[in-house]
Parts: sequence; structure tokens; C-alpha cells
Amino acid sequence: MTGWLVPLLAGRLVRLAWLLPVAAVGLFALISLAPIDPVQAYVGGRTSQIGPEQRAAIAAVWGLDLPAPERFASWLGQLLRGDLGQSISYNAPVAQVIAARLPASLALIGTAFVASFVLGALLGLVAGATRGQWPDRLIRTVAVVLAASPGFWVAILLVSVFAVGLGWLPSCCAMPPGRLASEVTLAERWHHMVLPVVTLSVVGIAPLVLHTRQSLIAFLDSPAAGHLAAHGASPLRLAFGPGLRHAVGVALTLHLAGAGELFGGSVLAEAVFAWPGLGQATVRAATGADEPLLMGIGLATLIFVFAGNLLADIAARLADPRLRGQA
Amino acid sequence: MNGVAASRRSPRRRAALQGGVALVLLGAVLAGSALLPESAQTVDAVARALPPQPGHILGTDLLGRDIAARTLAALAQSLQVGLLAAGCSTMVAVLLGLAATFGRAADHVVGALTELALGLPHFVLLIMIAFAAGGGTTGVIVAVALTHWPRLARVLRHEAQGIAASDYVAISRALGRSRGWIARHHLVPHLVPQIVAGFIVIFPHAILHEAGLSFIGLGIEPHLPSVGVMLADSLREIMAGNWWVGAAPGLGLMLVALAFERFGEALRRTTSPAGGVA
Amino acid sequence: MIRSLPALALALSLAVPSQADARALVLAIGGEPDGGFDPIMGWGHYGSPLFQSTLLRYDAKLELIGDLATNWELSEDRLVWRLSLRDDAVFSDGRPLTAEDVVFTYNTARTAGGLADLRVLREARAIDATTVELALTEPRITFAARLATLGIVPAGSYGAEYARHPVGSGPFRMVEWREGEQLVVEPNPHWHGGEIAFERVSFVFGSEEAGQALARTGAADLVAVPPSMADRAPPGMEDLHVDSVDNRGLAFPMLPSTGRTTDAGAAIGNDVTADRAIRVAVNQALDRDALVALALDGHGRPAMGPADGLPWDNPEAAIPGNDPAAAMDTLDAAGWTDEDGDGIREKDGLRAAFQLLYPASDSTRQALALGASEQLRGIGIDARPTGGSWDEIGALMHSQVVVLGWGAHDPSEIYFLHHGNYSGVDYYNTGHYANPAVDAHLEAAEAASGVDASLARWKAAAWDGETGFGPRGDAAWAWMVNLEHSYWVSECLDLGALQVHPHGHGFPITHDLASWRWTCE
Repeated sequence: MTGWLVPLLAGRLVRLAWLLPVAAVGLFALISLAPIDPVQAYVGGRTSQIGPEQRAAIAAVWGLDLPAPERFASWLGQLLRGDLGQSISYNAPVAQVIAARLPASLALIGTAFVASFVLGALLGLVAGATRGQWPDRLIRTVAVVLAASPGFWVAILLVSVFAVGLGWLPSCCAMPPGRLASEVTLAERWHHMVLPVVTLSVVGIAPLVLHTRQSLIAFLDSPAAGHLAAHGASPLRLAFGPGLRHAVGVALTLHLAGAGELFGGSVLAEAVFAWPGLGQATVRAATGADEPLLMGIGLATLIFVFAGNLLADIAARLADPRLRGQA
Repeated sequence: MNGVAASRRSPRRRAALQGGVALVLLGAVLAGSALLPESAQTVDAVARALPPQPGHILGTDLLGRDIAARTLAALAQSLQVGLLAAGCSTMVAVLLGLAATFGRAADHVVGALTELALGLPHFVLLIMIAFAAGGGTTGVIVAVALTHWPRLARVLRHEAQGIAASDYVAISRALGRSRGWIARHHLVPHLVPQIVAGFIVIFPHAILHEAGLSFIGLGIEPHLPSVGVMLADSLREIMAGNWWVGAAPGLGLMLVALAFERFGEALRRTTSPAGGVA
Repeated sequence: MIRSLPALALALSLAVPSQADARALVLAIGGEPDGGFDPIMGWGHYGSPLFQSTLLRYDAKLELIGDLATNWELSEDRLVWRLSLRDDAVFSDGRPLTAEDVVFTYNTARTAGGLADLRVLREARAIDATTVELALTEPRITFAARLATLGIVPAGSYGAEYARHPVGSGPFRMVEWREGEQLVVEPNPHWHGGEIAFERVSFVFGSEEAGQALARTGAADLVAVPPSMADRAPPGMEDLHVDSVDNRGLAFPMLPSTGRTTDAGAAIGNDVTADRAIRVAVNQALDRDALVALALDGHGRPAMGPADGLPWDNPEAAIPGNDPAAAMDTLDAAGWTDEDGDGIREKDGLRAAFQLLYPASDSTRQALALGASEQLRGIGIDARPTGGSWDEIGALMHSQVVVLGWGAHDPSEIYFLHHGNYSGVDYYNTGHYANPAVDAHLEAAEAASGVDASLARWKAAAWDGETGFGPRGDAAWAWMVNLEHSYWVSECLDLGALQVHPHGHGFPITHDLASWRWTCE
């Protein structure tokens, strides 16, 4: 029954095989265009203790004085040996920097992924079942308004109300400060995740709500649903009964394909909540003109998006067998 | 497919109404900021961190700058940057969409570029391009212009290929017309509504992303009033209980984005009435 | 990873951290080094190096005292430092610290390409187990500052992992570092400096706002706060304001405009500010107290020179400010008069006008630029505040006036800012100032026989009775304000005597962390 899976995976692998090298060259070319002096970015506020000779030494040790093609060649050489290079802003191997920060980001993104899926699908189903009535209008209005709101502003409003105003939730960090990681309870970790996760899940929810609603309406308008309705099934019962499977498969496909965007959102959420993840490292890499780290993050997120799309393709084929003929 | 309420009016009238709202809002912000006296935004050591009150209807920030005046100026700045960036992005989409009709090789190149642009999370690509362009206002415009084209380019490519395969184009070609002539006389006129709708759809995304870049410090320079910068400042002030500093600029940006998103959606329905939501 | 929501309800009741470990100290003062705690790459230039100890250190008056070194002397030719080491220093892993470790640290840092500048070091060598010699390529008295900032690492175990797992002979050892969040340290039982009053010290990084939130719940004992929060300490804490040489001033282009440009194509020179009368008049006109009130909300002090209150500062070089009448006399005498009645003076058809550049991202400098511009308009000088990015400033700073900030615990900054050899080099001497007499004083200071002997030479460079870079002499700068660094500090915490802070708010306050004490039980 999974005869369609192997050709799909093979096709996607071929695509990844050309996409990665092309992206690497493209990204490196892009990054090397930056008119920012990496030595000045590294020295930053320490100008008064770093003389011109030391600046030259810094450039030489980190290879910042080489022309871009040579830098690319040496980066590529390292990559072929499994080394993503050395991050100048963190003074550590790029792989180590990413590995240290990815779990925090993934925890945020993963939780938000699930939360927004459940919430989005639920609201979409309710809206579809009450088409034209006030719950439908309310949900649609909220979804459209959220789609037009800057995510970080939503975050600021949440902080303003729940952290500063009511004092219920922490506005910062992944754990309560002042204690060791081993002393922090799971409950406290969750407590710190609430606001970032809510921010991240609420912002991208609109397409999910509206799509789920549309597919449910399509189902409710179908003869099969009409037949059930004639036997006395209410729209809500239909929505959370036979309509559920119909609408949720489509919603899951859409949601997986958009998973990459959650990473983008997490850059902003991490900035607001001082969350120690990869998003903060991305901003740090850009402000520090940290070429190898930017390359590493670029390629890592490329694979992340690719995986999301692949899962979406698989989900779509599981939900709709007619698609299985396509590679 | 539309809701009951929406189908009461014709799509065309609806689009005209939404467009009117959006354009009036745009005009009001731009005119308001142009009429604003320069002194309205300067620092005032005496009027620091005032809550909303007569004289400062939206309050002042920690440097004593009037939030109302600053919000207006910031929105105008964001709108100008957004218009320029969305315009550039639309042009990129048109060029690449049309280029895709120039043979299989060109189509493949455009396809690969689209894959690349969609291969990274949108915001990560924005950061990379803004960084490569040296940050600042220029960086934002370049970044937004080079990241928002794929969807429109795909639509245009699809449409253009449809037109290129049509009978009247075949006749023109038989009459010995050049590719450029055909593009000018057959392709572009048919695509104009799509292009306009595409621009309107890109615009709210452009201003939201511009605000995001400015918020993390990779966008519009902090001395220029911009929504992203104001919101970044507000984060610091909220802790002191000065909630009003962040409320107005965010709300203003949301209203503008909302108006144009509704306009774009309504416009899209006039061109493809059976279309979905995405 | 995904558990049930009831956990949240439980968490709400656990929001306040337990106070069981009463001797723990929680600091929210920033200062996290992204690159880790490796002195060779630049860790430890201000404040306590925490894990390492240095050969010398600065006391609260910024005078050099011994730490690892018990005795130190500079050779007759000023080229060799000879230091005797204490024999009881032990690394936190229990191994003793010897001359070999010092030699390894200095020689490695010299070529490491990090943020510790040791280019002037020729070679470090061990004479015996407790004696080292540091040979320089040329006389450089400011090398003494390196002796007080470069922490010693163990030669035997130093490696790629060092920055994240530091081992040193300093007062603390690392318990846990969660990057971007928090550093937790505990006293190093092997430390040679005595008892430490805390079982544990946590440095909370995260955001500035987070630190304030912690302070409000009583969970932090010391928090660095921005000027806007300076007088709003929550119950149980006091406001603390520390003087600093974190200064802001106006750097003048000194050369007339002749069409010359830098290698990068930036114009050099400005005919208005090339006239000493303009520069002196600006110094006379500025009401620095008003600038402190406007830009710093009162949390600062007027700046008269680049190093106010430091041992190498020369108060004689200053001239009184807030005197528009004197400034106008100066301008009148030099031939700058307002002939066309627009309120701005001219001389030979040249308007007394220039741009006042400031980095747009910095609201303090913006307020200073706006305030200074307002004050200068009063004496007939048109200084137009112009905000820009650092790149834009870089293109204009050799031909326009720019608001710059300095303030190091190291007189080599005086050298960089005023020596002719540093004309147009990076952000140092942006105005291309060059005065042979000043250069000679600066060189003599670097070549002095000792730190104490060099002080008089640094002072002479500012004003030697005839000339100098200070306002009484060439007036190469118009200094405006020194920032005050503000903190909230627990009423139960005694920080002892504090240094005048350098450029950089927050972490420098830890310079004597090991001697802090609790005052309540």
C-alpha cells in the first residue's frame, strides 16, 4: 500500500541534492555582498583596547581578509570534512552553536505547532458548522485581524497584560533565573513557555481556521452530508463526526507545509521573550557579520522547511489517495 | 463558496468599497504626517512618559516625544517603504513570470529561483538579504522586494503560458510578430488585473515584514520613526507600566494591514470568484 | 515533551523561587560574553574575571596592586617587565599555577587573533618557577593594563573547550552556564584571596526587562537599570549611582578642507571647525549641566576631558563652560560675525555651520546632539543634528563634527585619540588632529619608567602650560557629559568601594565581587 512512498522520497531526495548546493552557493554569494566590516563587528565596543595591528591579526586568524571565492573554497573544504566552520561571534564551532540552541527553538516551535493545529482546526470546524451565524463571524473576524497583526506586537500586548499587568506569567527566559537547570521543575519550564507559545501559535492561525472551515463547508454541502442531515444529524455533530476526518487531513497538510514559517516567527518571539534559541543566534550572526554561522543557519533551516514540505506531501497522500500517482 | 453575508453584494462593489477604505486610510496617514509640524516629534525633557491626556492624546514616551505624532510619522514611513518594496517585488514577479514563457530553459531557471526563495523560512531569508544589503532602509526594501515575488510570479507564469498557447498569439506569431511585440500587446494587457491584485496582496505583507525587521534592529534606522522601532522601544517601557507607548503604533499598523488585506482578498475574488482562501 | 495543562496551575503557585539557599547572590547586570570565558580571546577586560586571576589588578582608585605577582619591575630600557609570582596560587582543578602557565598565556594570546591586544609583546619567558619576564618590542607603559586584565589559563589543559569550561586560579569556578540565560558560579576553594560570602552567585542574562521584573519580586540582589528607571528601586532595594568615564563628546575635524579624502573616499577637513576660535567657543558655550538634565535625566556629570577623575586626567586643561558671553567674545575677536542677520555668524563669506553627526540608534546621543545644537544656535553657530548609521557616520566623520563616546581604564585611549599617527584610523583620531608637542608628550608617557611616572606625561599632553589637546590648548574635542551608571541594589548587600566605571554599563561593577558582603542576617 506504500508503493507511492518510495518514488516520492526518491524524487524529493533528487530535489534536495540539487537544492542544497545551489542554495549554498547562492547564500554565500549573498552574504559576501554585505558591506559590513566583520572585524569592526567583532571588536564592537572594545575599540579603545584593540589597536590597528591587532585588527589586522584578527582578520588574518579568522580568514576575514581573504577574497570571497577563497573564503567559499575553504568553507566548502571544511564542509566536505563534516565541519561547518567556526563562528566568530560565539568563538565555537558552528555545529556546536546550532546544536546548543536548536532544542530550545524546537521546543517552542513544536509546542506551538501542536497548539495552533488543535486550536486552528477546532475554530475552523466550529465556524464551518455555524456558517453565517455569530460564532462563524466572530471566529473569522478574529482570524483575519490576527493575520494582519505583527506577531511581535501580539507578544508585547500579551506581556503587557499577563506579565506586567496581572503578573500571572513570566515575560522572559526559558527557566526561572537564579537556579540550576537541574533544580527547575517541569511545571516551571511550562510556565515559562506559555506566552511565547501562545504568541507563536496565534499569529499564523488564520489560514488554518479559514481552510478548515472551507473544507468542512464543502463536506456539509455534499450529498453524503445532506443524507445524514436528513436523518437528523446536526451540523455540529456532523462537523465533529464524519466531517472531522475530511477537514483535518487537508488542514494538517497545510499546517505542515507552513511549519517553516514557525521558525521565522520564533525569531521574533525569541527576541521579545529573551528565549535562548536559534532565532536569537540568527540575529546575533547577522549583526556580528558571522559568515559561517549565517551559512549554517541558512542550510539548517532549509532542511527544516524541506522536511516540513515532505511531511505535508506524505500527509496529503495519506488523506487523499488520488494524489498518490504524482511524484 | 463565500459566506452568506459576503455574497449579498457583488464582488466588484465589495472590492470597490474595501479599496476605498484602504486608500482613504493610506491617504490620511500620508497627508497627516506631511502636515505634521517637525516640532511634534522632538524630545521634550519636561513631558516624559506621560499617559494619554489633553495635549498628548496618546501620551508621550520616555524621551518626551508625542506618541500620536510619532505614530503617524512612523506609519507614513512604513507605508512609503512598504509601497516601494511591494512595487519592486511586483516588478520582480512580472519579470520572472514573463521570463518563464521564454522557452524551457528560462522556465527551469525561474522554477529553481522560486524553489530557492521558498526553501528558507521567509523571515530567515529576509534577515539574510537585509544583512547582505547592509541593513537600513535600503536593506529592508531590497529584502522585501526579493522575497515576496514567488506567489505572484507563479500565478503570472501560469496565466502567461495559457495566453501564449492561445489561438490569437499563434496567429500573431504566424504574422511574424516579435516576442516583445506579443508580450506588449497580448500578455501584459491581459495580466494587468492580476498584477494589480498581486501588488495589493503583497503590500500588507511587505509592511508587516518591514516592521519585523526593524523590530530586531536589522531594518529601518532607529532614528527614523518606524513602527518596528517604536515597538522595540515600547518593550522597555512596558516594564515601567507605560503600556500606551506600544498600543498605538501596533494598532495603526494592524489597521492598515487589515484594510489592504481585505482589499486584496476582495479584489482577488473579482478575478477568480470561486477561489479559495489562501 | 507534551504533558497536560494542569501543570500550569501548579506552576502558578511556584512562581516565586525558594529562598532556602540564603547565601546565594543573584545579579542581573548583563555582560555575558558570547564567545565564552577565555581570557586569551578577550574575556575579562572589565569587572571581575571570575574564574581566572591576573598578574596585577586595579584597586578602587584604579591604582595597580599585585594579584598573582608579588613584585614587578620594568627594566631600565623600558622593554622588559620582570614579575615574581606568589607560590600559593592553585587552579580550580587543584594543580598549582607556575611561571610556565603565565608564559603560555601571554605567548598564546599574542597570536590568537582574539580581543586581547598583545601585539607589543615580543616574548614571554620563564626565568624560574615563580619568575617571568615579558619582553616588549618597544617601550609601552600602557602594557601594564594588560597585566591587570589578562587572566592566566593552565598551560596543561587549555584547549578548544576552555571558553565554555574555564579552569583558573580566580575566586570562582563555574557550576553551570546556560548560554543566553544564566551563569552560575560558586567559590573556588583553592583561591588564594580569602573567604567569599556567597555559596553561589548567579548572573542572569536574558533581557534588561527581565532583571527588573526579578528585582520587583525580590529575586535579584543587584540589577543594572537604564537612566529612566534609575530612581524607581522597588521595596527592599536602593538606588545606586556610580560615576563613570563613559563619556560623550564632540570630535572636531581639525584640518581645513582641501579636497583630500581618505583611502575609502571620505572627505577630510572642515573650514569652519579648523578655526580654533570655533572649537573654543563651542567649549565655552556648552551648558553641560543642562545636557545632563536633558539627555541623562540628571544621571551624569559634566565632562571636561576624556578621562575625568582618572589618574591620568588633567583638570588644568579645561576651560569654564556655560558662558555664552565669553564664547561670543571669542567668535567676535576671531572675525566671526553675523552680517546678513540670519542669526548665524559668518567669516569671509563662510557660514559658521557644520553637521552634528550621531548614531541614530542611540537616543542619548540624539538628545545630546539636539541639546548642543540648540545651545550653539544661541551663540550664532548652526550645528545641524544629523542621525545616521555607523556606516554613514564613517563617511562623514572626517569632515563633520561627530558625537563619540569613549572612556577606558587605560590611558592608551588618550594616545589613540590624540596622536598624529592615528589620524583617520578607525574611530580614533577622526579629526586628523596632529600637534608635534602633544605627540612628544604621548610618546614620552608610553616610554616612561613606570606607571606613576607616566601620569605627568599624559597630563602634559592635555595641557603643558603652553599647548595641549585640551580646550585650553587646541580644543580638539568638546566633551559634554559623563554618564552615571545606575543600579538597584539590595539593602542587605555591601559592595565596598567602587571604581569609576568605564564605558560599558553593568558588569564592570563586579571588579571586587569577591569582597562583597551581606549586611543583614
